[in-house]
Amino acid sequence: MLPAKVYKELEDALGGAEYVTQEPALLDSYAWQPALNITHEAWIPRPEAVVVPRTTEEVQAIVRICSRNGLKVKAFSMGWAAWGGPGGPGVVQIDLRRMNRIIEIDEKNMYAVVEPYVCGSQLQSELIKRGLNCHIIGAGPNCAQLASVTSGWGYGWTGLMTGFSGRNPLGVEWVLPDGEVLRLGAPGSTERWFTGDGPGPSLRGIMRGWGGAQSGLGVFTKVAIKVYPWPGEPEVKRGKGTLLDLQAQVPPTHKVFFLFSPSYEKFADVAYKIGNAEIGYVHCKGAVGATFGIFAPRASEKILSNPALRAMIKAAQHCTLFMLACHTERELAFQEKVLRQIMDETDGFLMDASHLPFHGMFAWGTHRSIFPAVAAFRPGGDFLTSMGSNETYDCQVYAAKLSESMKREYIDDGTFIEDMADCTWGGIYEGTSNWGHLEQIGIFNRRESHKAEGRYAFLDDTMKLTIAKSLGFGLSSLGAGYWKLYGPIMFNYHHWQSKIKQAFDPQNTADATFYIPPYDEVLKTEAEEKGKWDKMRSDAMTFRI
Amino acid sequence: MTLQELKPDMEGCARCSHCKWVPHLQIKSWRYAKVCPSVDRYHFHSYSGGGKMNMGNSYLDGRSELNDTVAQVIYRCQLCGACQVSCQCYRDDIDLADVLLAIRSTCVEQGFVLPEHLEMIESMKREDNTMYMLKADRGRWSDGLDLIDINREKADVLFHAGCRYSYDEDLRDIVRSAATLMKSSGVRLGIAGKDEACCGGRAYEIGYQGEMKNYAEDMASRVKASGAHTLVTPCSDCYYTFKYLYPKNGLDLGVKVLHTTEYTDQLIKQGRLRPQVEIPLKVTYHDPCHLGRRGEIYKGGWEGDNKLARPSRLKQTGKLGIFDAPRDILKSIPGIELTEMERIREFSWCCGAGGGVLEAEPEFAIWTAKERLEEAAATGASVLVTACPWCERVFKDAVKESGSLLKILDVMELLSQSLNGGSHAAG
Amino acid sequence: MSMSTTKSIAWEKIVGASGVVTDKKILSGFSSDAGFTKGEQPRSLVRPRKPEEVQEIVRLAYQKGVALVPRSSTGPRFRGDSMPDVPESVIVDLSGMDEILRMDVRNKVAMIQPGVTFGVLQEACAKVGLRVPVPLLPRSTKSVMGSYLEREPHTIPKYHWDMSDPICCLEMVFGTGDLFRTGSAAGPGTLEQQWAAGQAQKTPMGPSQTDFMKIMQGSQGTMGIATWATIKLEVLPKAQKGFFVTAAHLEDLVDFTYSLQRAKLPDECLILNHVAFASIIAANVQERDKLVKALPEWILFYAVAGYDHFPLERIEYCTQDIAEIAKACHLQSVEQTAGISARKLLGLLSKPSEEPYWKIRHQGGCQDIFFLNTLDRAPSFVAAFKAECKQQTFPAGDCGVYIQPIQQGRNVHIEFDLMYNPQDALVVQRVKNLYQSASSSMSTLGGFFSRPYGLWSDLAYRKCPDTVQALNKVKNILDPGRIMNPGKLCFGKGA
Repeated sequence: MLPAKVYKELEDALGGAEYVTQEPALLDSYAWQPALNITHEAWIPRPEAVVVPRTTEEVQAIVRICSRNGLKVKAFSMGWAAWGGPGGPGVVQIDLRRMNRIIEIDEKNMYAVVEPYVCGSQLQSELIKRGLNCHIIGAGPNCAQLASVTSGWGYGWTGLMTGFSGRNPLGVEWVLPDGEVLRLGAPGSTERWFTGDGPGPSLRGIMRGWGGAQSGLGVFTKVAIKVYPWPGEPEVKRGKGTLLDLQAQVPPTHKVFFLFSPSYEKFADVAYKIGNAEIGYVHCKGAVGATFGIFAPRASEKILSNPALRAMIKAAQHCTLFMLACHTERELAFQEKVLRQIMDETDGFLMDASHLPFHGMFAWGTHRSIFPAVAAFRPGGDFLTSMGSNETYDCQVYAAKLSESMKREYIDDGTFIEDMADCTWGGIYEGTSNWGHLEQIGIFNRRESHKAEGRYAFLDDTMKLTIAKSLGFGLSSLGAGYWKLYGPIMFNYHHWQSKIKQAFDPQNTADATFYIPPYDEVLKTEAEEKGKWDKMRSDAMTFRI
Repeated sequence: MTLQELKPDMEGCARCSHCKWVPHLQIKSWRYAKVCPSVDRYHFHSYSGGGKMNMGNSYLDGRSELNDTVAQVIYRCQLCGACQVSCQCYRDDIDLADVLLAIRSTCVEQGFVLPEHLEMIESMKREDNTMYMLKADRGRWSDGLDLIDINREKADVLFHAGCRYSYDEDLRDIVRSAATLMKSSGVRLGIAGKDEACCGGRAYEIGYQGEMKNYAEDMASRVKASGAHTLVTPCSDCYYTFKYLYPKNGLDLGVKVLHTTEYTDQLIKQGRLRPQVEIPLKVTYHDPCHLGRRGEIYKGGWEGDNKLARPSRLKQTGKLGIFDAPRDILKSIPGIELTEMERIREFSWCCGAGGGVLEAEPEFAIWTAKERLEEAAATGASVLVTACPWCERVFKDAVKESGSLLKILDVMELLSQSLNGGSHAAG
Repeated sequence: MSMSTTKSIAWEKIVGASGVVTDKKILSGFSSDAGFTKGEQPRSLVRPRKPEEVQEIVRLAYQKGVALVPRSSTGPRFRGDSMPDVPESVIVDLSGMDEILRMDVRNKVAMIQPGVTFGVLQEACAKVGLRVPVPLLPRSTKSVMGSYLEREPHTIPKYHWDMSDPICCLEMVFGTGDLFRTGSAAGPGTLEQQWAAGQAQKTPMGPSQTDFMKIMQGSQGTMGIATWATIKLEVLPKAQKGFFVTAAHLEDLVDFTYSLQRAKLPDECLILNHVAFASIIAANVQERDKLVKALPEWILFYAVAGYDHFPLERIEYCTQDIAEIAKACHLQSVEQTAGISARKLLGLLSKPSEEPYWKIRHQGGCQDIFFLNTLDRAPSFVAAFKAECKQQTFPAGDCGVYIQPIQQGRNVHIEFDLMYNPQDALVVQRVKNLYQSASSSMSTLGGFFSRPYGLWSDLAYRKCPDTVQALNKVKNILDPGRIMNPGKLCFGKGA
């Protein structure tokens, strides 16, 4: 329990008792965090209290109160996944759901300014009316836009057109761990939000890198997010249905294709050619196993146990889900012509799904990024992810091949549900960039707790694989405290990052479980745990698949 | 099922928060994206469907106790079922609505009851209704309609008015219209009059699951005695009780059960009722939770341990609820322009009245209703039409409090007017 | 640690005797540039050839408290960022590190050293069917890394996803002498191991949860020294076609430009006023003045391109789609204006400026004022600038205006090029006055000086004390000895 005086201070700062609680059962609704909980527990440490502020000033007040009373703070928007909650005792959870406004949509200059509790569906709905769109991450449209852009990482289906969350912030409003407000870019000096860089060095560089600080360096209260064109009619007609039964009609210049390549190498070639040709709106791996997970999870076991059917499905494994979404019929005709040529050049073939009855639902579901959640959760109720660093697509394909053979073993021993060991998801980003990601997802039933060790072993193996084979820093590198593992082999980035932490959060007020402790603590921990992490690193570097 | 038996469901919660939102593919605006009145009003995650499941896990794991504060969170919920619809868009292994009912039941077993709910139960026990009224007055709504008294003769169709329609004088015209127009189509329509009793559904919802059994048995014998082959009710809550709660608890009425909108829709399609008087109104239709998503027939019949293996046809998604019949009726009325809100059908926003909230948390009920009124007004409609007395009660109260210009009407009122003429046009 | 004023350091032990310049006459040239900022005379200049030498230089300087001023370009300079602000500084001249270390054609990325210029890189790219987006006719000695570390805008907005583009990864030495690599270059694994896994140091984020590349960019050498960078390249078009859209009023081009950006149809896309346009095209001042008179005041230039697949068809559909957009805006695309073909300008835009550098070709001197804002506000800035010209009695006819959509059209670089004769003392004074007053009024109007050179530092940083505080915290980490280019941005001259 918080000291009564502190609790009262929080109540007063929030303008009422109804915005703060320390009732154990209510706190436990914040401590239940099974998703992407790498420990395979469902409970995380219970917060000391939960507060629900409405304004930036209230957030500042909360941070100051906690700081001077030796408490930590951990903020979240939607709060999905374990890293959103406390990493230990003595943490006040800041639930930002009352900060839920879209403050501004600047149509001409293609950005939107949002508060923390605006989800992808909300923002996208308002944007489409204006002929615009936003990047929605693969976890789904239920996720907060601000959180992904400032604090998470940010892969998404439409990355070919809408980039990566970490590359989408413009101006930012940030409550630092000392309670002061820092505004990055134009909002620091003007009333506008059109850029987040400068004057001089860009402080976006301390806000996040490939990944964000997961609330380990303060609380973000507003962000301007780049938005992108929505080609064609500014509406999606919807009839009955809620997901797989949805009747929907996307603009006629939006067409979904399934591209089938004879090998992983040709699959990669297709991606490179698509990127270089500057066509397309959605590019990602079409995972055959995941397809069953979405549409027919109970049938998949039977179907996949039939050798002939399995072989046929396996032949379609190197599948690209690809969407054209064009401004004009002319543009559509051209892009489709190029696409067909690319498939000819790479010995593949395509299926034009726009003629099929489910096209509207599928196209709309892809735009709104609903399918990853379905694919990941429907078969078993839970999932974990791995690999998925962000580099050239050739590297991603190489990593996918390696990780598939590893996942096969874990399916065969019953750790994961059968999905043909297919590398599940990922695509190319930012048009011509030629970089992308592919992540290896394992689906399972968390209730089978006896299989937790196997899941943990898989994650451990993929982490080692990324180090042993130099596959990049990505989703396998996210374990709490993994800076101890990676830092010394990556130019001691952990020292520099922890110095940032120490400079901006000398009291260590922001819960840094999923970020990094202050520098002094890092040095101490390194010294104390040297042997353990040296061995782990050595095992990783000599890991053999 | 007990809360412990439902632990696998609760353990399946991924804390994704879909339960707070309209199914995402159907979200059309920032403003009308949310679907859970509880968490919207009271903010803490524990108020959401998922949050209550998390609290359930906490309780069963011995990490926390039930107390008045926790009970308040649990009771500040209309049990509207929207969370289940959103969750089950992609989850096959969680029956959120069952969990919420079991949590209520656990509260009652542990003695955490609200005085207002206790009063309701007392009223049911004393006078067979939830409205604190005299049993003797139950049949008064039908005075002068000359309906068959099933205590005296058999009927083909038993008309069960329900507690709210039996006693709420504000809504009297609606139930009288419904019965009248059904009778006018030639149906041998019978009522139990003062011998009609509560269906028991509300008792089940507020946690007194055992109480419903008494009323169900009473209902079954009344139906049998009536000789009717069909039971029709204008009350959505009763409809849900008959279609879902009774069979879920092993109680079979042995007859076809229809809502008045279903029945009259059939009559219209058969040509036995012909709406002819033009009613030039722009209306929007509110799907009552208990007629819509909660009115879905109980699919039941699966006994396994692992719901991941349950065939999806047995999942209570809410899609088989009654959505089209009321709309078809409205569309059959000349002059009516039906415009839809964003949150409709199985993802409709709750009126605010259900789950014992109207009785115990009237401020919350009105808050919820006002949210709906705003959404209705945003369509440009001048009339909000629905098909449930509880919705109508709370909407009318909310209109009065807010000064909204919306008129609240029932489908039967409009149909009746179009069949007979009258003065229900919005002024 | 105070700047060393007495100790001399044996730099030749690191870079060899030929890599050290101590001649005072030569060094005096580094205390001023073609702009108005005056600097201090450096003590010496050192020319490293390898990253290890750079690291050693910085380590030693940190130890001894010697100020370092890095530079990678040669030739005329205008902004004062690579002139020492404190005496006894050492210039670190990286222009001799001029190798293209690696060219990855499939992944379209080049790893280059600081001394690589646009001409050299463009030529190397062309040989393999690639190109690097280029700023507006940079001077021929301009370093690619130098340019993009300054966040200089390039002329193809659709390729400009983030302000850091086209830089991907950096190798750099912090002000402590520590070596660091950003983005995916950081590992795990050596570069060779990464290449063996198919990587190409293409990811411009990280490592992990910080991004020191973003800190290096825009820092004017105050955080460290970059020793190589990977630069994102693009496909060299198989076919291209240029167009002009002209207007008497800038306002008339605004909506059209927005529409072009939203549809991502053009490659090169920029707006010039007649003075800037003429200055680029003309060989001499007479030709320039004649052209200025003949041209409409505002010229939007755009190009459409075809790549590997059906290049001419691509150009065709883009042209038609743009024609429809133009019609809706009551505009028309043309292939020439005032006798100048769009093809000619397109040819110039892919290369560095011909000599003499276009900004000083006609009058000998040029002072830029540039900042960021959004295109819809550009006309108001232009109007305010013209008012300033009038106030300071400086002819607007000697001012070029360049508006470059960046970040795919989300904001614009607005630039006023004040061209003047540096031999005319009266004019010089007027330009100085105009430079100061116009900079101030642009700032007051909301111009965001994201690249705060010289007096802009004061204008920019006085508005954002929170940023100043934060930057100083970062500076204290990466350059605790405050040896890196002291006096620049919001950093003082002392330790």
